[in-house]
Amino acid sequence: MFYCDQYHVPQTLEEAFDLIQTNKGSYKVLAGATDLLPWAREGRGGDVNFESVIDISKITDMSEWQLQGDRISLGANVTIQQLLEDPFLRKHIPVMAKSAVWFADDQIREQATLGGNLVNASPAADATPPMLAMNAELTLQRKYKGKINQRKLSLDEFVKGPGKTNLEDGELVTSVECDSMPGYGSAFEKVGHRRSLVISTVCLAALVSLSDNGRQFEDVRLALGGVGPVPVRLHESESCLISKPVETELINKSADLAVKNVQSRTRQEYRREVVFNFVKRGIIEAMKDIETNYAEVDKNIKPRKNYG
Amino acid sequence: MANFDIQLTVNGRQVSQSVSPHLRLLDFLREELHWTGSKEGCGAGECGSCSVFVDGVLMKSCLMPVAKAQDTIIETIEGLEEQGKLNVLQQAFQKTGASQCGYCIPGMMMAATAALRANPHAGREEIKERLGGNICRCTGYQKIFEATELARDVMNGTLPDDLLKQENDEGPFIGSNSFRIDTSSKVTGSLKYAGDMVMPQMLHMQVLRSPYPHAEILEINTSAAEAMAGVEAVVTCNDVPGIDGFGVFTDDQPVLARGKVRYVGEAIAAVAAEDLVTAKEALKKIKVRYQQLPVITKPEDAIKTGATVIHEDVPDNIVMHIPIRKGNVDKVMAESDHVIEDTYYTQPVEHAYLEPEAGLAYLDADGTLVIQSPSQNITHHRHKLAKILDLPINRVRMIMSAVGGGFGGKEDMHYQGIMALAVLKCRRPIRYVFTREESIIASAKRHPFIIKYQLGLSRDGHIQASRIHMLSDAGAYNCSSEGVMRKAAILAAGPYAIENLIVDAIGVYTNNTPSGAMRTFGAMQSQFATECHLDLCAEKLKMDPVELRLMNFLKEGDETHTRQKLGSVSMLEVFNSALELADWEAGISNSRGSTRSDLGNPGNRPPCTLGAREFPQETVSAGQSA
Repeated sequence: MFYCDQYHVPQTLEEAFDLIQTNKGSYKVLAGATDLLPWAREGRGGDVNFESVIDISKITDMSEWQLQGDRISLGANVTIQQLLEDPFLRKHIPVMAKSAVWFADDQIREQATLGGNLVNASPAADATPPMLAMNAELTLQRKYKGKINQRKLSLDEFVKGPGKTNLEDGELVTSVECDSMPGYGSAFEKVGHRRSLVISTVCLAALVSLSDNGRQFEDVRLALGGVGPVPVRLHESESCLISKPVETELINKSADLAVKNVQSRTRQEYRREVVFNFVKRGIIEAMKDIETNYAEVDKNIKPRKNYG
Repeated sequence: MANFDIQLTVNGRQVSQSVSPHLRLLDFLREELHWTGSKEGCGAGECGSCSVFVDGVLMKSCLMPVAKAQDTIIETIEGLEEQGKLNVLQQAFQKTGASQCGYCIPGMMMAATAALRANPHAGREEIKERLGGNICRCTGYQKIFEATELARDVMNGTLPDDLLKQENDEGPFIGSNSFRIDTSSKVTGSLKYAGDMVMPQMLHMQVLRSPYPHAEILEINTSAAEAMAGVEAVVTCNDVPGIDGFGVFTDDQPVLARGKVRYVGEAIAAVAAEDLVTAKEALKKIKVRYQQLPVITKPEDAIKTGATVIHEDVPDNIVMHIPIRKGNVDKVMAESDHVIEDTYYTQPVEHAYLEPEAGLAYLDADGTLVIQSPSQNITHHRHKLAKILDLPINRVRMIMSAVGGGFGGKEDMHYQGIMALAVLKCRRPIRYVFTREESIIASAKRHPFIIKYQLGLSRDGHIQASRIHMLSDAGAYNCSSEGVMRKAAILAAGPYAIENLIVDAIGVYTNNTPSGAMRTFGAMQSQFATECHLDLCAEKLKMDPVELRLMNFLKEGDETHTRQKLGSVSMLEVFNSALELADWEAGISNSRGSTRSDLGNPGNRPPCTLGAREFPQETVSAGQSA
């Protein structure tokens, strides 16, 4: 069970930093609490007691977003449901909506935040692969000697391992910046046991843009989750396709290059097979999402086995 | 410490209170305001039985620290009713019979309300999508979806509202569509389950459970726990005044561990204290010294020579062996044209009733011990308790509270005895509510089976001899194992005329979680093996599996394998009706694939295919473009 002695709900970042200062060494920051409360139970975290909980979910500065040139800045408190429903977000970061529709269920999405999912850093996190694919960068702020210090870390620099990040003591993730990608087709693949409330065994985010005649890949972004201690960007699989013709053999090769990223502790053979098929299908679904003509590819996904 | 000031509106009423900051919104609603309609089914945001509206948005209140509800407007199930009358959705749930145990129903009603508010014209697929965060263990969901659609149509005027009324059936009860008498209490959230009950001076119980699968208890020291402020009673097996031991067939399970523990999760000691936090703290202060013993995890290991003995009075670890012998299997099997063998495995299954176990125990003014709990077997339990507590039967009263799902899992008296001991010690009411984790760790599972199946058949498909050997893991205590072995054995060979038969159903002790009653009570496991095996035989004999059955069915006048003479057999009627409804296409089952004519027609299921799945429709509100 989750226990605490004090529960604070700061309305501004300043307030939050003051609380962090006052409660140095004995505070816990939470946003949506949708990972924390299920974790604080017998068999996982068990009974946990925090002296001071600092709930940052009501800080309005962290709930907004804006376009900044070809990047978009999202407040860390943007909810997963907003990523699913908001028309502006669906246009500029389309892959997030594709990921959000598979995220827990609608009730949890209303409470869960983007920042929370990234900071929780589960290897199976659903928001991390799409954010990686969009070159996400996190803004971290900390109050030091009366001044707010800010630094930025790319998402792959931020996530270190399962549940581990480079967030320092006293720091808060206040916003996430990523590419604005209107016009890209996107896809999110996830495998698990049922429609809702599934922890990914493997998940993949894909974004694609094609040349005007639809025959050539202009840009491809691919990122994988659930297959190792941290989610990974599939740079090799991407370079194999960028500026190349849309062709079955190249897509197969791109998918093949992704398979070696499987470094999970269990079920490796299964994950390898899924990774191959997800990359292939993700690229094809992302292309379909663009609604322009595209070169005929072999739509019969032939599963491949024997990944050693 | 109640140091958080919360103001909010709940079901139209303004509330202002000081609370402990760690409370979740669910705890605040249930324990502080006594709106017990919202339930805790899992505490981890999975089951949805805690769903409430927060400023019009459906959320899981078990995931919300109460501070998040500051200055919000909360609607719970209790707020749906209109001036004491059921609203349209509630009436629809009543009409379609959508509620069984009722525990998921408040959450389902809130989700259905949310669905129709978001889209008053939602179709079946959208309704399913919007109810996706809510689980039901009893109903199979169909009637819940039907109810939501019925409500939608009545509210839109597409269907008349007298469709919500009970049909005026004058004929026999059987086959008529009558309202269940308890539905209104379930759709309004007014029905109290044991975990909803409160009494003045009520204490809260927590139980210390074994971390080891098999260990001797060298010492239990409860003195530090007993000395804690707020602790009213600490009990161990030493508090049993009468004859310890309970069970369904044999009384092999002590109320609290006596001498040793036999499975992870076995109850060792219990604390009754003023509040849950104190009770948990007290548990930590109970010191137990263990000497671990060799552990048996597989039933095969339990019956090896020299295997560790789990119950001293059962040196061979065999809980129950039910044999059936008929004819001369060895001879006829050797002479059969075909002898087909295989081994079948079934797994332990958790009942996962939405309502975790709970109980309220107290002494009536005349000293009668009363226990309210969702027990499936109150008469049996009452007699056991009287013996354990050395009380005359008229001083022990068991009340079956609303059962939020049982399926056999609430047949064992695994916590009521503990509560009774504590109530007798401290003379105050005690409530004990299991967490989901505790329910899974402590309660019995469906028996797993290893079934070795051998059939001897003639060339044309007559079953001539059958040898069925079933080994089942009964776990640490008997519970219903005797009966499960009996049922499994009696029904093992199936409804087939077989003259030569050897059946053995053997339940053995292990240090796994006890296996107990769960729907079908052993018959499903054995008949799963029988029917799979017959299908395999049909393939090997290149026969239609239907033909193989028809050839071997028991008929009127036949004797069953346990010598019951069959006076009336409707097997053929039922079977033929099923074949007709299924459009069964005769032939060997494994050679036609997707060319079968009995798939994909109206009324049949579509053929199974493998392929890429479509994205579910992303929910986009009207007026927004993708």
